Amino acid sequence: MSDNTIPVAEAALRPGAWGFRLAMAAAGAGVVVLVASVAAVLVRGVAVWGNNIPHVWGFDLIAYAWWIGIANAASLFAAVLVLRRHGLRTAVNRFAEAAALAAILAAAAYPILHLGRPWLFLWTLPYPAYTGLWPQFGSPLVWDFWGIMSHVVVTSLFWFIGLIPDLASMRDRAARHGRMRAARAYGILALGWRGSVAHWHRHQAAYRLVAALVLPLLLWAQTVVALEFATTLVPAWHQARLPLHVVVTGLPSGLGVVLALAAVLRQALSLERYVDERDMDLLARLLASAGLAAGMAYAHELLVGFLEEDPTTRDALAARVFGGGAPAYCGAVLLSAVLPQLLWLGALRTRTLIVVPVGVLAAAGVWLDRWSIVVGGLLRDHMPAVGPEYAPSVAEWGLLGGSVALFAMVLLLFGRLVPAVSMFETRHEESETEAEREER
Amino acid sequence: MTQHPAFGLMAEFDDPEPLTAAVRAAREAGWRRLEAYSPFPVPEAAELLGVSAAPIGFIALGAGAVGAVLAAGTAWYVSVHVYPVNVGGRPLNAWPAFMPTTYLVAILWACAAALLGMLALNGLPRLNHPAFFARGFHRVSEDRFCLFLSAEDPLYDPESTARFLRGLSPLRVSEVRGA
Repeated sequence: MSDNTIPVAEAALRPGAWGFRLAMAAAGAGVVVLVASVAAVLVRGVAVWGNNIPHVWGFDLIAYAWWIGIANAASLFAAVLVLRRHGLRTAVNRFAEAAALAAILAAAAYPILHLGRPWLFLWTLPYPAYTGLWPQFGSPLVWDFWGIMSHVVVTSLFWFIGLIPDLASMRDRAARHGRMRAARAYGILALGWRGSVAHWHRHQAAYRLVAALVLPLLLWAQTVVALEFATTLVPAWHQARLPLHVVVTGLPSGLGVVLALAAVLRQALSLERYVDERDMDLLARLLASAGLAAGMAYAHELLVGFLEEDPTTRDALAARVFGGGAPAYCGAVLLSAVLPQLLWLGALRTRTLIVVPVGVLAAAGVWLDRWSIVVGGLLRDHMPAVGPEYAPSVAEWGLLGGSVALFAMVLLLFGRLVPAVSMFETRHEESETEAEREER
Repeated sequence: MTQHPAFGLMAEFDDPEPLTAAVRAAREAGWRRLEAYSPFPVPEAAELLGVSAAPIGFIALGAGAVGAVLAAGTAWYVSVHVYPVNVGGRPLNAWPAFMPTTYLVAILWACAAALLGMLALNGLPRLNHPAFFARGFHRVSEDRFCLFLSAEDPLYDPESTARFLRGLSPLRVSEVRGA
């Protein structure tokens, strides 16, 4: 067991190749679009969006719920890997965590922009203001504020705790190369980690504890989003099953994104040794299972929805599934539930050219499901006349495309600046395999 | 110019097992001021050093409870006393509706306390430490395992301690001095 994790550190210290620069430039251009779209909302107000009555949420909540779903499934995967101690290469958890963090950052922007006057978002905090106003704790919108905030903080902590020892490795590698400025930067972020056995012991306890605490938080983040819909009187949303539906149908998005990222990263950074075929196989099976679970949620939706006594609710579901909402609904079912079933075929699971498109399309399918809920759910209401249709504007598309670019940029920076896989866990695992071999 | 007194002696190993054995030997010899370093967790050595991770769980539990009480208390105080809103005569103290924020804030506090508690118990952040002066210490973050016997321990004596460490068949034993 010699210098087996050096390539991981070196991948982060090497100057960026042209591919990286190209990707960074593309993501940068997208972020410019994001800035322009945000500026349009801030300067001219939410009227630049296609929102209207009854479509008060539109693109904003679609993208928010979608990003939260990606963050949740990615964190769920990372936390489960940390909690099961043996048997698997836990190294993949690092960029699952990074993806969750990038997704939650992209998600957090939407509800704030959606306020109309985003600079007043502080009003959701309970503090004694000169206005005498206080938040209403009975409202799911207030729960959502706490949900997003806890999600951002806990996901960042989870990522950072795991990263501390690897930052110390980066510090030592950079110092060896004589890059003292980089070494100092990594050293400060590593908080002076010196690999003390006693420190490791407490570090592992804290890491596993936070991983365990992330799990109940994930269930809750999507549940709160769904409750915002469920507490309205809109027939398609006023459903007790909505939280379960949103949590379960969200899983393929995060797992699809992590799978696609894993496939791209191991090739781009030559990390095949650290993210091996078994990891890819497991991820692909997980995506297929998530698709299956989402399929069951869709089946349950149809079964329960059409058994409903209230004709308005049945009518709303029919319009969403077979009427005007059919394209989005069918797209969602096909892409996020049916397409991942391909991955049950073992031969396809390890082929990059198959898993990347399947993963990305599964995420796109979940976006269509969110569209189907948010926009398709308003095709029928208790009132006979429903109002104008919803057509997203350029500013909204810019916001969506821009947030995808921001996500890509954050991940590119993570891939360049910090080790892409967990080095200490890889070292640990390799030493254990060696010890087992010696015993035999 | 007088030379800075040594901080202690560092023995270097290339596997976790000899490190664990060395820690055991040092503890049996009565050493109290010692520290072991490794590139990944070595729980057996940590147990021999008498380190327990249990306090982190208690810190997180305590902080979670405080966070929950604060969140529920704020929701109750705001909704019942400071800013009561009558919604169709429903009770002001609608405690089930306060539970979601209570639950979220409890998890938030528990997670933050687990990290901060871990850092505090470890005495981090601390950017300077005698161990960093040891020769080749940077390899601890890669593939080396070290045992450090501090000069502050009453058992410390430059010669006999070095002899003791060499008896544990390390790769090398070196004196740790400030620059």
